[in-house]
Formats: sequence, structure tokens, C-alpha cells
Amino acid sequence: MIKVLRSLLVLSGCLFAMAGGAYASDALRVLAWPGYADPDLVKVFEQRTGSTVEVTTVDSDDALWQKIRNNKAQDFDVFAVNTAELQRYIAEGLVIPINTTGVRRIATQLPRFRNVKSIPGLVHDGKVFAIPYTYSEMGLIYDRQQVKEAPTSIRALWDPRFKGKVLLYNSGTHNFSLAAQVLGGTTPFQLAEKQWPAAVQQLIALRRNALAFYTQPDESVELFKNKKAALLFANYGSQQLQLLKAAGVDVGYAIPKEGALAWLDCWAITRGARNPELAEAWISYLLEKEPGNALVTRQGLANTTSESPNLRSEDKFKWLEPVEDVDRRNLLWQRILSGDRASKVLAP
Amino acid sequence: MAAHPVRRPGQQGAGTVTSGIAAKLGLLLAVVGVLASGLTGYYAYDISRGQLVQSAKNELLTSTQGLARRIALTRDEFSRNLLVLARHPAAVSALQKPNPAQEEQLATLFKLLMEANPGYFQVRLIAATDSGMERVRVDRDGTQLLRITGDDLQEKGHFPYVSDTLKLPAGGIYLSRIVINHERGAHAGQEQPTVRLATPVTDRQGQVLGALIINIDLNSTFSLLAADLPKDIQLFLANRNGDFLIHPDSTQSFGFDKGRRVLVQDEFPATRDLLDSKIDQAVFETAQGRYAAAPVVAAFVSSKARAFDDESKVILGLAQPLSVIVAQADRLGLAILQIVGGFCLACILLAAFVARAVTRPINSLSSAAQHFAKGHEIVGLPVNRKDEIGVLARSFSQMHDQIKQQLAALKDGQDNLEHLALHDMLTGLPNRRLFQERMEQAVERGRRSGEGFALLFIDLDNFKDINDQWGHEAGDAALKEIAQRLAAATRKVDTVARLGGDEFVVLLNNPADRGQIASIARQLLDCMRSPIPFGPLSMRVSFSIGIAQHPEDGDTASGIVSSADHAMYLAKTDGRNSFRFCSGDTVSDPLVD
Repeated sequence: MIKVLRSLLVLSGCLFAMAGGAYASDALRVLAWPGYADPDLVKVFEQRTGSTVEVTTVDSDDALWQKIRNNKAQDFDVFAVNTAELQRYIAEGLVIPINTTGVRRIATQLPRFRNVKSIPGLVHDGKVFAIPYTYSEMGLIYDRQQVKEAPTSIRALWDPRFKGKVLLYNSGTHNFSLAAQVLGGTTPFQLAEKQWPAAVQQLIALRRNALAFYTQPDESVELFKNKKAALLFANYGSQQLQLLKAAGVDVGYAIPKEGALAWLDCWAITRGARNPELAEAWISYLLEKEPGNALVTRQGLANTTSESPNLRSEDKFKWLEPVEDVDRRNLLWQRILSGDRASKVLAP
Repeated sequence: MAAHPVRRPGQQGAGTVTSGIAAKLGLLLAVVGVLASGLTGYYAYDISRGQLVQSAKNELLTSTQGLARRIALTRDEFSRNLLVLARHPAAVSALQKPNPAQEEQLATLFKLLMEANPGYFQVRLIAATDSGMERVRVDRDGTQLLRITGDDLQEKGHFPYVSDTLKLPAGGIYLSRIVINHERGAHAGQEQPTVRLATPVTDRQGQVLGALIINIDLNSTFSLLAADLPKDIQLFLANRNGDFLIHPDSTQSFGFDKGRRVLVQDEFPATRDLLDSKIDQAVFETAQGRYAAAPVVAAFVSSKARAFDDESKVILGLAQPLSVIVAQADRLGLAILQIVGGFCLACILLAAFVARAVTRPINSLSSAAQHFAKGHEIVGLPVNRKDEIGVLARSFSQMHDQIKQQLAALKDGQDNLEHLALHDMLTGLPNRRLFQERMEQAVERGRRSGEGFALLFIDLDNFKDINDQWGHEAGDAALKEIAQRLAAATRKVDTVARLGGDEFVVLLNNPADRGQIASIARQLLDCMRSPIPFGPLSMRVSFSIGIAQHPEDGDTASGIVSSADHAMYLAKTDGRNSFRFCSGDTVSDPLVD
């Protein structure tokens, strides 16, 4: 009896090895944002494909850009990037077109995501460069004990009533977009040359109103709770909303009338991918029900296969677009963050 | 008579020993000895090694605790420096209103302090107003100390190390999280692991005017603190979440700043309880992960600062390669091995000696038994020993004596029987059987050597009368006396025998001639002249003698006897008390009473 069982085991082992043989001995190097590749989800994929997955997380677009561009995208196979950021990767040839037939689960996506041509920046020269994965609007989270009326405008971040009680995201790109929204204009993603001093002044004013600047969702929750913040610019959107609620903070969520910056994260495959088929299998796997549910339930994010509970019809969004000069925004932002005054910030 | 060793068919010689007691006993003793010393040595090594590792663990823990205390002391010292600056009147007045002279004085003070403390990256006085504007700031830049002024001064109010410090009461100490300092323009401290120590500056009314902040160089401070640790000891520092801040492999520290957390609880699972504050210290051996090839012994302690801070707890650890510790045990092991080797040799020698000591007396017993079996006298039995061997030897000796006695008695009995078979019971003379043997021998001798002999056949003349007249007792007494007289009257070489009744014979070996025979016959007749006493009685006895000679009167024994008998008969008919030759001249010597 035992002999029969053992030979069955050996046989099934062989079959499994053959099934996973295509990816066997491969390591998939994933660069992702927190919560995108939880260990249990990774494990299922590893077991299914017989590969090993090495996950690195990033907490800012700049870090992502640095990591991919370093060593000319040879350090990673697949990474998650928003549609706006994706453009510079395509421009520098750091990503390769995706064979969409290899990502079989695309068929289960909602029509507005399945129709990649309708999303700016995903298709170039008829080739698809990224597959939508998750998205979130950057709304305002507020402490309902301190802020009795839900904020309606992005200007609430500058409100002197909340001085020293505003939590902000440590990102040059987004913060200049916020400043541009306050200044008004056609698009927050393109600052005209003459707008820069005003934008810097706005951001210095924002800094002076700030409690602190965070990079990671967990960090924002800790700061919000421990330092009694009143208002939070939620770069991670409903993900942070969920975390704060779980931490027992009485928080509300508001989409400013200027329109919330919103990001759509997609999976892209690098030029340095050792095994693009394995990367495609990874993307397809993450479009399955379990990883999709994990996004909603664990992270409070939306997935691309079911409608989001956090989206309302009246909410306005400013889908992220490439900005006029990422490096300049970041350089100036670093100066602002370090505490420099306008004259120093705007110095060449 | 010799006793022959008894040997049964197919039995090996009693002296052959194929598997001796000496070898078995020696081997057993040697094995027991070697096992005993080997096991003792092994356990001694094992226990010593365990104790060495344990003492190394204790030592490591003590070192770690010592380091933690030094860190606390250093922190206290830094805090005192901070408080001295914060209470300096120049600090208060520089914050109350712009005052270049006071600022200059304070900057000089900062520089002096930074010269004395190479671990200070930056000392700053920050105002509570103006969004945390820096009022006085000195940066370290390589070997120089720079006073930062004018537009280079920055607003820091949005950093928790400022906003939190400003919330503290006078004299309160803020200890920041340990992070990489990304603030631009921080000179030497930029992009370096930094911890900030801060305290509020207050006026006389207790109003918080600003904060004094020291940026401390984590690496140089720690390498200074750990400078007296042995070179092979590795230093670890992790924050309360387990993120490595100091790691022997610098790529593993500040992982969270690079988007990839590297946690102490992943590298050393035993520290998990330390992070959960379930325990204060953890000492363990690990051979997992990066330590698979070179296991280490490690001691970790959680160190809590008494400060109003973000970094309420850090995990401090020291690790030492197990090989360094075990090297000591290995030296000990070698010494133990040598001692065990010596003991084993001694055991083998002792075993050989004991085996010989025990088997030597056994061997002497067995050789004695063999000697005895061969009929030799036994000597050298260890009968004087006081032990079991002595008892055995004495028993053996007794048994030997008993057997010897019994054998002697048996021989006596046998001799008696033999005598009885060949001698006449009454007279003690050889009987007919012995006489016949002697006759055969004499005939044989005569045939071989030509030596002659004479047979004198004697028959009593009046024996029936004695029996009738005085009874058989008297007859027996007469026969005894006659036998004695006949024996006395003949040579030793001659045989006197009683054939039965009143018949006697005398066998004369190698007589010279007839004359000598006749002379002897006469002597025999003469010896009966005196009467034989029997109580008060006196008996007179005479006899007739027939003489036959070999080879003249017959070739065979029976022939000779028959001839002598015939001659005796003739002598009797001639008139008794005389002798007569069978052939030739009949010499008669009639007795005259």
C-alpha cells in the first residue's frame, strides 16, 4: 500500500515538475509597491510555476525610477508603475512591449481597462507596454473629531487652522501638481516657466503647514494616529483609509473639487527581463480572483476586474500624466523639504 | 610400576590451548579499560565544550550588556551636553531676538563641543517660531567645522524631531529614530546614519522658545563604543521594528531606506520575542541562513532609553563565530585525547599484567596435572597462596597425595595376591606353579646356554604317622619346620618348593658335578637329624630324595620331574632316609639313626 502511495507521489512529483518545467530554475525579480506581492500570493505563484520570486518594494516613483534605470533595467524583470511614470520608461527603452496573448486573464478585466487604447500612455505604435493592475485616487483623509466638515478643496492642506497637523506625501512630482492645482491652470502636470516661483512659494507654505512628510502607508498611519494629525494627503488613497480605520482612527475621506490626482498602476516588463513569458504569467496570475480580492480586502485598493466600492460618480479625478520636468520638480522639492527658503530653492 | 597417562582416542593433547583465558581476560580488561577511559574522555570533552560555549555565551551577553550600558552612558553624556547648551543664556537670548553677538558666542560653544565629540555631525539651535528656522548651526564638513549662516539656514519645523521636541517640558530629552539623513546641505552628515538628540530651550517663564539639536553620527559613535571588543566580534543594531541599523554587511543596514526591509528577526529568529518585549535578552547559537557555513554564537539585548522619543527601544547584539570558541574546546579535546591515549596504553599493559598474574598459577596447576598424568612427581604448586588459586592448588595437592596412597595400597594388594598365587600358604615356599615356571626357565636357560641343573625330589618318609599320631596341627608344624630347614640348607640361587602334601623339591642351578649334588643331598638329609619340637613333643622326620639332572635325565621339565620322582621312589624302596640319582651310580647315603 505504502509502495503504491510512494510511487503515486513520485509520479505526481514528476508531472508537476514537467508542468512547471517551462519556468523551472528561473527567478522572477519583481519590483512592486507595498501590498502588491504579499508572500502568500507569491508562494502560490512559485509553487505553480516552480520558479522563485524575489520581491523588492519601492515607496516612491523616484525610487522606482532609480532602481529600474540603474544598470539599464537589468536588475528586474517586471515592475508596477503608474501610467504617467510609464512614459519615461518607454521613452528610454527600459520596457518592452507585452505579448497580451501571454496574459490570458486580460479577458476578465473590466471593459475600461481591457480597452487599453482608451487609457493614455499604454499603447505606443500599436504595441501594449503595460497591463492595468490597480488604481487609486489621492483623496484627503481627515480626522472627523478635529475636522467637523469634510474638506471640499485641495486648499484645505494650506488652511492655517490645520497648521502643524497636515500629513503630506514626500514626493516632488505630486506636490508640484498639488501646487499647480491650487494655482489653477489647464493641467497640473505641466507647469509653465513663470509658474515655478509661485509653485515653490505654495509648497514652502505647504511645508510650513505640515506636521510631517511620509513615504509609506504604515508610516502615515503611525504619524496620523500618534501625532494627532487632522488632515492627510492620501497618496495611497483608499489603502490608507482602510489602514487608518483598522487602526481605530475615526477618519473621513474626501475628493477635492479640483479633482483628485489619481494613479493607475500597471505591470510592465523590463528590457532586462530574463524570461518575459514568466513575467507575463506573473501579470496574468495577479489578475486572478485571489490576488484581486487581496488588493480590495487587504489594501483597500481597487482591482481591474471588479467595480471599486470607493468610487463615486460625482468624484472628479486628474489621471496622472507625465510632468514637464521630473528632475527639476524633485530637485526643487528636495530643497523645499530640507527647509530652504524660496531664494535657495529657486537657485540654479 | 609406572602409571601411564590416560589418552582417549580422538582427544587433543591436554596441553594444547587454542583460546587461552589469558588472551580472553586480557582482551576483556583492555576493552573495558579503553572503553572507560574513552567514554570518560568523550564526556569530559563534551561537557567542557558545552561549558565553554556557555561561558562564551555568558561573556558575550555580558559584553552586550556592557556595550548597552556604555551606549546609555554616552547618551546620558550627550544629553548633559545638550542640556548645558540649552540652559546657556546665549541660547535663550538668541531665540528671544536676533542677536549676532550671542549667536557668535553660541556658535563658538558648538564648535568647542563638536571638537571634543567627533561623533557630532551637527549642532543646531532652532526657533519655535518662523517654521522652525535654524538660528545657530554648526556642521561638520570633513575635518572642518562650518558655521552655517544667512540663506543657508533652513526651516525644520516640519520634522518631528523639531515639532516633538518643542512639545517637551524644559529639560526633556528627545531621541529621534535612527535614519539616513537626507536633508540637503547637511555636509558630512548628509546621507549618513544619524540619530538626533534634542531638548527644548525655555525662558524663565517656562515658555518654549526653540530647540537644541545634536545630530549624532551613528557609525562613528558605535565603532568608538565597540572599539575594545575583540576583532572577531560582530556588532548588530536594529530598531524597534527589527530593521537593521548596523550590520557587519553594510548592505543589510537601513534596508527600509532602500525599499527593501532587512529584519533582525528574519536573520535571527530568536530575537522575535525580544522585539515583542517578551524578553529582555536572548543568547543563542545559529547556523541558519548566512551563518550556515560559519555558525555564530550571538547575544542580543533590548535597550530602552529614558527619553521622550520615537526610538524608545533598540535591539543591540554581538555575535562571535562559533569556530573561535570551539577552537579553545578543540585544544582541550586534543589534551584529553592525549590523556585518554595514555590511559588506554596503561590499561592494555595492566590488562596484560593482570591476565598473566591470573593465568600463571592456573598454568602451573595445569602443568602439574600434566606432570602427574605422566607419572612424574609434581612440584611448584602455588599452595601457599591465600586466594582461590591457593585453595585449588591445595585441593589438587591433597588429591594428588590421596591418589598416590591409593595407588601404593593397590600395588601392595596386587603383590600379595601375586605372592599368594605362587607360594604355598603353609610354608611360604614357592608352590607347584612357581616351581614349574622356574623349571621352564631353567630348561630354557639350559637349552640356550648349555647350563645344567639338578632336581631333588623330596618325599617325607613317615609323615602319615605324624598326622595320625599327633594330629594335623603337628603335621603342619613339621612341614613348616622342614621348609625352613630346607631353605636354610640351600643356596639363595636354588629353589626350594612344596609341591603339595609331604612332597618338596629343590632345584639346584648349575651344579659343579654329581659330587656337589650328592653333598647337598646329604646336607639336606642331615638337617633333619635333629628332632622337630612341637609343644612338649619331639618329632623325628626323615625323607627320601630322588635326583634327576638336566639334560642327562630329561629334556623337558615334566621329564626331569618324572625322572626325579622315579629316583625318589627308588630311594624309598631302598630303605628310606637316603638319596638316589636317577641315572649312573647310585650314591646312597643311608642314615643311621
